[in-house]
Amino acid sequence: MNDKEVLVEVKDVDITFKNGKRVFKAVKNASFNIYKGETFALVGESGSGKTTIARAIIRLNNISAGEILFEGRKISGKLSKEDRTWVQRNIQMIFQDPAASLNERATIDYCISEGLYNFHLYKDEADRQEKVDKALNAVGLLPEHKSRYPHEFSGGQRQRVGIARAMIMEPKFIIADEPISALDVSIRAQVLNLMNKFKDENGLTYMFIAHDLSVVRYFADRIAVIHNGRIVEVASATDLFRYPIHPYTQSLLQAVPMPDPEIEKAKQLKTYDNKHEEESEEDGSLQEIVPGHYIFMNEKQRPEYEAKLKEMMNTSVSS
Amino acid sequence: MTELNKDLFELQIADDSQSEHIASPQYSYWRSVFRKFFSSKLAIFMMVLSLLVILLSIFQPMFSGYNPNVTPNINRPEMKYIRPNSTYWFGTDDVGNSLFDAVWKGTGTSLFISFMATFITTTLGVIIGMWWGFSKRVDAVMIEVYNIVSNIPATLIAMILAYALGAGPWQLIFALSVTSWVSTAYFIRVQVMIIRDREYNLASRCLGTPTWKIITHNILPYLISVIMTSISRDVPSFISYEVFLSYIGVGLGQQHASLGRMIQQYSPYMTSTPYLFWIPVAISALISVSLYIVGQTLADASDPRTHMV
Repeated sequence: MNDKEVLVEVKDVDITFKNGKRVFKAVKNASFNIYKGETFALVGESGSGKTTIARAIIRLNNISAGEILFEGRKISGKLSKEDRTWVQRNIQMIFQDPAASLNERATIDYCISEGLYNFHLYKDEADRQEKVDKALNAVGLLPEHKSRYPHEFSGGQRQRVGIARAMIMEPKFIIADEPISALDVSIRAQVLNLMNKFKDENGLTYMFIAHDLSVVRYFADRIAVIHNGRIVEVASATDLFRYPIHPYTQSLLQAVPMPDPEIEKAKQLKTYDNKHEEESEEDGSLQEIVPGHYIFMNEKQRPEYEAKLKEMMNTSVSS
Repeated sequence: MTELNKDLFELQIADDSQSEHIASPQYSYWRSVFRKFFSSKLAIFMMVLSLLVILLSIFQPMFSGYNPNVTPNINRPEMKYIRPNSTYWFGTDDVGNSLFDAVWKGTGTSLFISFMATFITTTLGVIIGMWWGFSKRVDAVMIEVYNIVSNIPATLIAMILAYALGAGPWQLIFALSVTSWVSTAYFIRVQVMIIRDREYNLASRCLGTPTWKIITHNILPYLISVIMTSISRDVPSFISYEVFLSYIGVGLGQQHASLGRMIQQYSPYMTSTPYLFWIPVAISALISVSLYIVGQTLADASDPRTHMV
């Protein structure tokens, strides 16, 4: 895992929102790496700070402490105009709500070529048309759609317009903020497969934000679990689902319904009481328990978690 | 019953692109606006009426050459106070001039003042309101300006200015629009703040769209119907404002004909020769109402939510 090239590095990032005298810390001391070519998922409940971190990476939110690096270059805080352009060219975002994220008063042609216009990424008008046609074709839409307006499309089609708009910039890194949660169940797979296709073709790296764990299991290589603005566990997808160590991860995984009434009936629900985080609030940090598997804990909690992991490994081997 | 055989069947290839096809006819914003507008019979009637009034007020004075200071019939008592008849459609006034000529000249002046004041108010209001909605620093200053201006009666400001600057159409236009743009700008500011942080604007920001382009491509098109509403309110209100100011004697001077001046001038004759007073009042009410209804219908029609179905 460690021999891979790091693309995005989030180091000790705090994000606070101020409203007059009230200060709210939305993200506390978040650190993680995203490696080139992987799909990194950020899961957590509503309001846990997933989108806030994503928006900080793409510079829509300011961070109050720490720094964010992209290909080793700092992209947080004040940047020069060239650096900002460089970030905009290389990092793109796919939004959650396809109905809200497209300009209703602009044609699809303008929506998709907005980025091309801004950086003048085309030789002439014919070249731009060709690029838009190609992008539309790649997401399975027709060239005749160019003169249409977003409200004439279905949710899945709109989300594909959103993907085409991001892809035409030829970015290296795409942040997908719950790209399928607003979509009909029947077309979710279509959008995910499209994203996978682009990943293979263009060597993209994704940061995938979700609250739907079954989707994450299918889609992600590594997963970070975030709770109350704090990253509590980072592990590869297989490790996290096999050995969920942090109590919050355990309760989150348990919340996934099983399509088997017998198992569902027998399931003992664990409610998460925040006790573990409170204990390690002062002196805790994200520590590696086994290679590639990080838990938020302090030194006192370490033996407890190690024992838990050992127990889990034993039961899974014996069964 | 015919027997099933191969000839009855035809091979169809599954084509996914078929399901992407949109069957509805091409949507065009402005075409939909006009279709919606012309679906209202009242609005068409009012538009014809207001066009008629506007055209009359432009062209009729050119032929009549009416000037309130030229009074050839002032010493001919038989020409004064003639009731409306086939020669003098609206009758004649206290100096023997045709009221028909006077009314259209006055309507022209009133409309000119109202349109100019609306134009200045709307242009300034929209430009400053956009800026105000986007910038926190401008907001801090402008909100104080708004607090001050909105707490001083606009009538008072207009009256003082009209006194200070002297009588005349341009002075009156200045007096009317000098503070009224603030409330238009405030109105636009609130609308900008509502849609400024919508997701599609964040998306544009991610794509590197500069702020001015976000304003012209993402915000302004959404505000067309809001701006139309504001215009349709301003035009009649400036007409009545001009009438009011001229009526209390601070608007235009003796040498200008305007609806307000005429209403003031003829108000003593309300009982003796009532047509002199009521005809200018009726014309003033007619253009206010017709322009307001046309503007409101246009504002409704320019809201794309009314284009569905």
